[in-house]
Amino acid sequence: MKPMDFYEYLKYNAEPLFDEAVGHVRLVAISIGIALVVGCALGVLAHRSARTRPVILAVSSTLLTIPSLALFALAIPLLGLGTPPAVVALVLYALLPIVRNTVVGLASVDQNVLRAARGMGIGSWRRFARIELPLAWPVVLAGVRVSTQIVVGIAAIGALVNGPGLGNEIFRGLRSLGSPFALNFVLGGTLGIVVVALLFDAMFILLRRFTTARGIR
Amino acid sequence: MTTTDMPQATSDDAAGRAEPMIRLDKLTKRYRGQSRAAVDQVTMEMPRGEIVVLVGPSGCGKTTTMELINRLIEPTSGRIYLDGEDVTTSDPDALRRRIGYVIQQIGLFPHFTVAENIGVVPKLLGWTKQRIGNRVDELLDLVGLDPSDYRGRYPKELSGGQRQRIGVARALAADPPVMLMDEPFGAIDPITRERLQNEFLRLQQQVKKTIVFVTHDVDEAIKLGDRIAILSEQSHIAQYDTPENILSNPASAYVEDFIGSGASLKRLNLSRVRDIELATDCPTARLDDELPEVRRRLVESDWSALLLLDERGRPQRWVNARDLDRTSVDLRTAGLPAVATVEPHATLSDALNEMLTSSAGAAIVVDRSGSYQGLIDFDTVMVTAKSIKRDSTEYYRAAKLSGAETAG
Amino acid sequence: MTTSTPTETTEPQTGPEPAEDTADVGATAVRRTRRKLVLRWMGMPALLALAFGALYLWVSGQELDSIEKRTLNASALTQRVIEHLQLAAVSTLIVIVIAIPLGILATRRSARYVAPVLLALGNLGQAIPSFGLITIVVLLAGVGFKSVVFGLVAYSALPILRNTMVGLQQVDQTLVKSARGMGMSPMKTLLRVELPLAVPVVLAGVRTALILNVGTATLATFFGVKALGYVIFQGIQLDRTPVLIVGAVMASGLALLVDYLAGVVEELLTPRGL
Repeated sequence: MKPMDFYEYLKYNAEPLFDEAVGHVRLVAISIGIALVVGCALGVLAHRSARTRPVILAVSSTLLTIPSLALFALAIPLLGLGTPPAVVALVLYALLPIVRNTVVGLASVDQNVLRAARGMGIGSWRRFARIELPLAWPVVLAGVRVSTQIVVGIAAIGALVNGPGLGNEIFRGLRSLGSPFALNFVLGGTLGIVVVALLFDAMFILLRRFTTARGIR
Repeated sequence: MTTTDMPQATSDDAAGRAEPMIRLDKLTKRYRGQSRAAVDQVTMEMPRGEIVVLVGPSGCGKTTTMELINRLIEPTSGRIYLDGEDVTTSDPDALRRRIGYVIQQIGLFPHFTVAENIGVVPKLLGWTKQRIGNRVDELLDLVGLDPSDYRGRYPKELSGGQRQRIGVARALAADPPVMLMDEPFGAIDPITRERLQNEFLRLQQQVKKTIVFVTHDVDEAIKLGDRIAILSEQSHIAQYDTPENILSNPASAYVEDFIGSGASLKRLNLSRVRDIELATDCPTARLDDELPEVRRRLVESDWSALLLLDERGRPQRWVNARDLDRTSVDLRTAGLPAVATVEPHATLSDALNEMLTSSAGAAIVVDRSGSYQGLIDFDTVMVTAKSIKRDSTEYYRAAKLSGAETAG
Repeated sequence: MTTSTPTETTEPQTGPEPAEDTADVGATAVRRTRRKLVLRWMGMPALLALAFGALYLWVSGQELDSIEKRTLNASALTQRVIEHLQLAAVSTLIVIVIAIPLGILATRRSARYVAPVLLALGNLGQAIPSFGLITIVVLLAGVGFKSVVFGLVAYSALPILRNTMVGLQQVDQTLVKSARGMGMSPMKTLLRVELPLAVPVVLAGVRTALILNVGTATLATFFGVKALGYVIFQGIQLDRTPVLIVGAVMASGLALLVDYLAGVVEELLTPRGL
């Protein structure tokens, strides 16, 4: 049998590929969403307390050092196979850039601006929500963008713990090693992930434009 | 000048029976782990509607003292009274909304527009949008910035001087009775600073706030203060009095040292251009006047030069007889440009500065719109300086004598 | 520990304190910095020792069936570790040999138009997932050690390339000028001034590449080289939790250990005065 060329493969597999891409995007979006909340909270904590800062930063950087397959695997005994272990592993992976940039972003806020805010009688919660966070936001967002880039790629490995996403297509190619279709599957999955990564990146460029206050753009 | 100030001071004392706007009672700040207090038992009263300047060397605790008032720093002991009310333990945020606050670095919120920056405290106080908008425009007018132009700008789109004005407008937003200003003009170039100081004084005549002003610059203190508190270490008050009294009767060697030499020159900071008689006999002409007429005016006067004004009466050029004798004279370019202008509320020190930097023998006095009012020359300044000195020396002697009498 | 201040308890700390606590009270500050240093250098090994010790105790307490025994025995595990280290070491060495000279070339004046293009391409390449990249390489070049190494090299080249370029670009140009002004040749300037000053940044890139390689090498099991990924994947496929945990903890521990050692080397190799 003559091997199908890549174009034909795409034509006949558009729908499943699209579904896998959607699964991939959803997995990344959920993980980054959770990582954003957790990472920001840890970042604020690390910024506020010099005691916890080294611990928080050391732990998040240790997490990023752990091989991805190991991290996925370690989640299995606790959460079984499927989406949950994939999300947990990806969240842990995404933490460091977000935490670190939150700390850097908050530290870069002009102390005089905060002093003026305090002197004007703006309460601490409002000061954080209206002054500190908006001013640190571009840096935080840059961290989220880096995290997303990392996580989009690592999510491919999620297929090994039966997670959703385009990694399944690569895995399919791997299992059919030697068959004439193998390269198509792998290329389809890999390029699909590249497209997802670029889409996320484009989204972050837009997000940066629309969520950065005009005065600091 | 000084003579008119004296009765004023006494009438103040009479009114001083009323509760002062701010009263500090043995206010002390001791940081943990430090044996010496940063601020040690400061007791002072700041009368309503006056500018009280805290001045002293760096590290003397003047900023700390100021920040104890709006409790950015919580006192270790002592009490703070605002308008008779003990606010030592009241809600600090509510307290701060009643006190305008301006710092050297201004601290405008970079992600807020000018209008949003000014509207922060009114918004916290729950004003309506309409009322905030009106107030913003009113304040922008007050600090001399066109509301329609500046309302929507962001801080990065402003010059240093404009930011400072917005900082002051923001502090005035909710019409607080009290303003705290921490070296507000410290980071601004000398020329702009001079202008902002003058504007600030004009502004204060309108708003009549009780202002606590911190600076390390004695000249600034003398120029702006109704009262000056000279502080030494731990915010101990070395002398608290009017600038006139401090200059003529320094309470201690420390104060004398701190005021430094040139105290008589500093007195020039106490007299304003509007307080002395201007020379108005200098010949003037319009740029579009006929040349023979211009020549005639110059010749008929006692002066060696004539001042040319534009159609709105603003000084343009100085010309002398030789400039006018040339065969073809264009009045727009003849002679020398008329620089060295001062406004009536400028101090004599400002006027002297202008004369020296422009190397003209006189400063041109103009009103706010820039139209010509008269001249003030070097001799007038010197005579005034001497008379101030004589007055104050007499006052000083009188004070000594009366002191001796009571002692005897 | 007699006095336990918060800063000291923050870092992972295990094992008994050395007996230096008898030092006189006056030298508290000196002692504290020394203790901090000790913690910085000893924290990670202590943590790893604890983790491996706990793992060993836990596994020895388990009743292992025959399948588990086949994977979890000393000689097999040693073999996996060796395979893993070989993959990481060989690929990192190759990357260093390729990417550092390339980075140096890209920062020479004659190549100043190539440099941004190279970086842009590299950044784009970073969007390709490692798993997909190695699979493609293996599909084209066949299963085995060489293909995996090739894939690892392709994936980890960017950090070293980028850091070499950035490291050289951030060298103060006045220093380069003064070196040339003193009569140093361009080559000598590069070797004596530019490269030594770029060392910290380049080393950071090497460390990043090394960690990427150690991590990605766990995927080698799908491409014919067992390494530690084999143990993990056996655990997943055969549903044997002890196997999975041993594989995952060993792979993580190895990565952390390598990262730690790389950090030590980084510090030792950084020229004094920087």
